[in-house]
Amino acid sequence: MVLGFLASQLLVGLSRAMILFIVSAGLTFVLGVLRVPNVFHGSLYMIGAFSAFSIATQLGHHPASVWVAFLTAPLVVALIGLAVERTLLTRLYQREHLMLILFTFGVTLVLNDLVKLAWGADYRSILPPPVLQGSAVLMGVPVPRYNLFLLAVGPLVALGMWLFTHRTRIGKLARAAAVDREMVALLGIDVNHVFAGAFLVGAYLAGLGGALVAPSTSITLGMDHTILIEAFLIVTTGGLGNIWGALLGALLFGLTQSLGVLIWPQFAIVFPYLATASVLLVRPRGLLRSVW
Amino acid sequence: MSDVRKSQILMVFLVGFIFSTTVVQAQMPRLVLDIKVGIVDTYSGPPAVFSNDALNGFKLALSDINKAGGVLGSRITFVTRDEKFSPETGLSMARELVLQEKVDLLVGTINSATALAISAYAREQKIPFIVWIAKSEVITGAKGHRYVFSTGENTAMAGKALAQFAASRPYRRWWIAGEDYEYGHAIADAFWRYMKQLKPEVTLAGQTWWKTGEPDLIPYLTAILSARPDAVFFGTGGAGMANVLKTMRAIGFAERVPTAIHTAIDYTALKPLGLNAPEGVMGTTDYLFYYPETSDNQSFVRAFQSAYGTPPGFPAFHGYITAYFIAEAFRRAGSLDRERFIHALEGLRVRTPVGMVEMRACDHQAVLPMFAGVTQKSPKFDFLVASNIVTFRGPQVMPTCAEIQHARGQ
Repeated sequence: MVLGFLASQLLVGLSRAMILFIVSAGLTFVLGVLRVPNVFHGSLYMIGAFSAFSIATQLGHHPASVWVAFLTAPLVVALIGLAVERTLLTRLYQREHLMLILFTFGVTLVLNDLVKLAWGADYRSILPPPVLQGSAVLMGVPVPRYNLFLLAVGPLVALGMWLFTHRTRIGKLARAAAVDREMVALLGIDVNHVFAGAFLVGAYLAGLGGALVAPSTSITLGMDHTILIEAFLIVTTGGLGNIWGALLGALLFGLTQSLGVLIWPQFAIVFPYLATASVLLVRPRGLLRSVW
Repeated sequence: MSDVRKSQILMVFLVGFIFSTTVVQAQMPRLVLDIKVGIVDTYSGPPAVFSNDALNGFKLALSDINKAGGVLGSRITFVTRDEKFSPETGLSMARELVLQEKVDLLVGTINSATALAISAYAREQKIPFIVWIAKSEVITGAKGHRYVFSTGENTAMAGKALAQFAASRPYRRWWIAGEDYEYGHAIADAFWRYMKQLKPEVTLAGQTWWKTGEPDLIPYLTAILSARPDAVFFGTGGAGMANVLKTMRAIGFAERVPTAIHTAIDYTALKPLGLNAPEGVMGTTDYLFYYPETSDNQSFVRAFQSAYGTPPGFPAFHGYITAYFIAEAFRRAGSLDRERFIHALEGLRVRTPVGMVEMRACDHQAVLPMFAGVTQKSPKFDFLVASNIVTFRGPQVMPTCAEIQHARGQ
């Protein structure tokens, strides 16, 4: 039984890490390729969750409605992200980081108000797809089926990102631009397209994280803040711009959180922060090589 | 852009700005006789659900009061300010309402910290302040004074009601968990304080606290299950509450261990989850739109439903009775004098949807009944409701006047 609880905490921690990884991967990818600390990444995640809610409820009780939401909500978010990048952000790439932070922070405020206009201040809720509802019992301990599903999605996203950055032209260019953007430009490649593509992928991942988290939590204004802080911590721990670093950072964060609860429930909040802070003390530039 | 052009644009803006403010002021001359209520509350962000509900209840009552001729020959009007859940903002809004808008009294807010900040200001300015959602028991308890009133339940009342409800059941080893913020701890402390009073043999098996807005509660809740307590109390509210209920449902928590949460039976907490909220959770609230089934309650619910398309939650009830307390107190005072208003409000009894409610003179706390029950599906609604409802009358759940005086160090 004790072993059962340990195993279930591990599984649940890992599944949380998958959501964190998906969101952080998007943040770190944009950070690496565009050198933009995208503060409105959290807002995109929130819009992903709200869009998933709207799509799923519009389709009503059809068993596939949530699946459709998982597929389409991130696309909606990706398009919003692309629109902001093409119309506004693209004019600011030459500015210093402080300006970019201020600008992207400004966008969070605007997006927040737009979300409030579109969906109101009520909190919302959707359920997992019917086949994933309820919990499986492992060694006498309940583990929600939905969390087991997330465990499978995380590695798929990681694989997808690897294929994208290693097997597609734009992905390879993005990787090259992350290392040396002047050189890429000197080779006569339109860096603008690379940037737009990278931002689209980053926004897609934020939206995917939001859509996937929607069935397991309440969808509310303010969910953007929590994820943004966690994602920045994870990205920094993993090494700025390094997707595999984001994976490591997310695993560290998710697992210390869920296992910390077992060890010292009253102060469980501090464990993930303590872990990330310790890593940064020992390796100030993060676990893996930062591209900055 | 040349400097000349810049300054031209600036001039246009300036002129436009001055013009617009004068036009607005000219259009809205203040009737000397209007009674003006200044409302400070959180109208942005997640708490706005509750604040808007309270405001709707208040507006509904005001329109009835004003249609019936108002009080003392004047209409009651109001202005609102968004404190954005920040005590500093709330305090400066209150100042502005008193100094610029010249309001006759202040009303607000959902944020206990803001309520306390405005309360201190109200005391210093000698202006009445009625708190309508914030639940901290110190507002009318330890930090209460002549100028502050409360028309909603507080953590002491809720904790005592839920403790009485749960104490009748055979649970001894309790686990306490919740969101790591002021309300979470305050409600848990009150519950546990009264639980130990009522049933000295209870023991605390352990505690779990998570940060506000924590999206994933599964590790916390499974860890509690692993400790196998007899029962669990959760200190949580608002969006955090929806999260707890949702997680409970996902891992079948309530089927495994009895659970008590203040506001778990509340409509605003249960509605977002529809029929997917967990059944069998013990909860408390000071207002249920479907109970008691009295004509006063039903006509309030009908009027609210037709005005806003949704049944009233507990904040709407607070807003509604606040308006009646204000109107009746001015009527009894016979003038707009603040001191006479306060004198009239002390001990005032008004007819409300849950029966006659008195504003207790010793601490300025409305003597509200508390309802306790267990969540259950109902064929009548597409969300869960309370079943096996037990009503605790105000005096059964409120600290005594002597206890209040003791808390205030008198």
